[in-house]
Amino acid sequence: MNEPSAGPLAWVNGSDAPEKTEISLGFMALSDCASVVVAATQGFAQPYGLTLNLKRQSSWANLRDKLVSGELDAAHSLYGLIYAVHLGIGGVAATDMAVLMGLNQNGQSINLSHGLQGLGVTGPEALHRHVHQTRPKLTFAQTFPTGTHAMWLYYWLASQGIHPLLEVDSVVVPPPQMVAHLQAGRIDGFCVGEPWSASAVQQDLGFTLATTQTIWPDHPEKVLGCTRAFVEQYPNTARALVMAILEASRFIEDSLENRRSTAQLLSAPQYLDAPLACIEPRLLGDYDDGLGNRWHDPHAMRFHGDGEVNLPYLSDGMWFMTQFRRWGLLRDDPDYLAVARQVQQLDLYREAASAVGVASLGKEMRSSQLIDGKVWNGSDPAGYARSFKLHAMSDNSPRLANC
Amino acid sequence: MLRILLINDTAKKVGRLKTALTEAGFEVIDESGLTIDLPERVETVRPDVILIDTESPSRDVMEQVVLVSRDQPRPIVMFTDEHDPGVMRQAIKSGVSAYIVEGIHAQRLQPILDVAMARFESDQALRAQLHARDQQLAERKRIELAKGLLMKMKDCNEEEAYTLMRRQAMSRQQKLIQVAEQIIAMSELLG
Repeated sequence: MNEPSAGPLAWVNGSDAPEKTEISLGFMALSDCASVVVAATQGFAQPYGLTLNLKRQSSWANLRDKLVSGELDAAHSLYGLIYAVHLGIGGVAATDMAVLMGLNQNGQSINLSHGLQGLGVTGPEALHRHVHQTRPKLTFAQTFPTGTHAMWLYYWLASQGIHPLLEVDSVVVPPPQMVAHLQAGRIDGFCVGEPWSASAVQQDLGFTLATTQTIWPDHPEKVLGCTRAFVEQYPNTARALVMAILEASRFIEDSLENRRSTAQLLSAPQYLDAPLACIEPRLLGDYDDGLGNRWHDPHAMRFHGDGEVNLPYLSDGMWFMTQFRRWGLLRDDPDYLAVARQVQQLDLYREAASAVGVASLGKEMRSSQLIDGKVWNGSDPAGYARSFKLHAMSDNSPRLANC
Repeated sequence: MLRILLINDTAKKVGRLKTALTEAGFEVIDESGLTIDLPERVETVRPDVILIDTESPSRDVMEQVVLVSRDQPRPIVMFTDEHDPGVMRQAIKSGVSAYIVEGIHAQRLQPILDVAMARFESDQALRAQLHARDQQLAERKRIELAKGLLMKMKDCNEEEAYTLMRRQAMSRQQKLIQVAEQIIAMSELLG
């Protein structure tokens, strides 16, 4: 509560009062739903006149359907899910969507089965060899066809010279079921958010091959998503919601104790329903890959980073569109910048951030170097999308020099 | 088909509405007089709409209407001969969705019922919202109270008190309000 106590009160009584006070807030059982759960249960929304009713969803497809139908007002969402629905490639009719804020960066990973480990496939080179020499194809699971996990899996495999659409098979599995699928031998590997990778390692069913932060340090991941109709109809509610979740994000990162108690809260049956031992270490940045390597990760899952995590950068949204294009999910280039401007609610975010004293820099783009050495800064999305050696673009347009 | 509980509170043995309603195609369960226990009948019959035909709504009628609106709200339409605006206001306040004076024609019943039902739905939504707001305000007050108590007990500032309460709540997988209630209860116990 860094705000003077009169602040929120004056705000709620004034003309900026939320138009809708009870919010159905969807989430998936994943560690990165933390700020949403903390905001809803620890009194962060009440000062703004909001009651947040948490609704756990069983799969991303389910969450998407309820978000689009309005049964959920807003949700902990995959970046790629929001953009895919907006562009009409998300498995339902195109619906105008909105990203209110970023919820977290980092903290997902690609894991392989014990079976592969037994064959000596414990690193990228061995996987490359195995994929090119062995039949049948390996089956990898991700969590949603256009989701972040699919994109991280594809990006990583491609960076290791493996074509993710031609040389391996992909299936969709909801995050909490990943470990059971691995155990049943239905999949050889998967990309998912925590605590499900740590859980596979803990249960001695698999090992972590690569964290997603090695693909892109501080990569965008989950967002607070809703339909554009919701933001337009209830702008004050949307702003208040962002304020509450921003404060919860800040609280989680305030101290080590706060992070620890966040892990304890998340392990409850109604949230992640997973043992604390699977949630806490990686939430604190302590990794054990199941192959005997342990490290403290400088780019572990983070929720706030003084607002760096929460600002809905246009370049973050655009990146997912470039990957949709790269993998043939989009047949043509969208107007990357215009679409990102429609979806990312930068103005609303900035108002909310300044109201709770969180820095929201004037920047709309950020620059990052990814695992394959390429730099993404949002400046030439169409060129970037066609700059990759491995891709699935169906057209024959000339590609750039570095292919 | 709409299920209508028809209460005949007039002197006539056979009420004027039953025939009109049946002709208009509604399923009608009729009751004579208000010597019945209306909430109990609503519970049993589970009507979509309650129609009360009364020459002039008495205090008893109003009381029964209030009980129904409070415990098992339904759209309630009142047909009456009473012109007094005071009585009408009181009926609406008790929970009547539509107050119709005189003139019952079979062809007018459907639109009257439609309006009553729409009006009922919007009232219910508003009521739910107000209820949620009251509850939220009450929770906030309890949390504030607990925070104040904790600040005294631990000799700490507001932010520290909130952090302590939240940490406690989270490590016990509880909501902040639950820990606030525990602090209040403990403080009452220790006087």
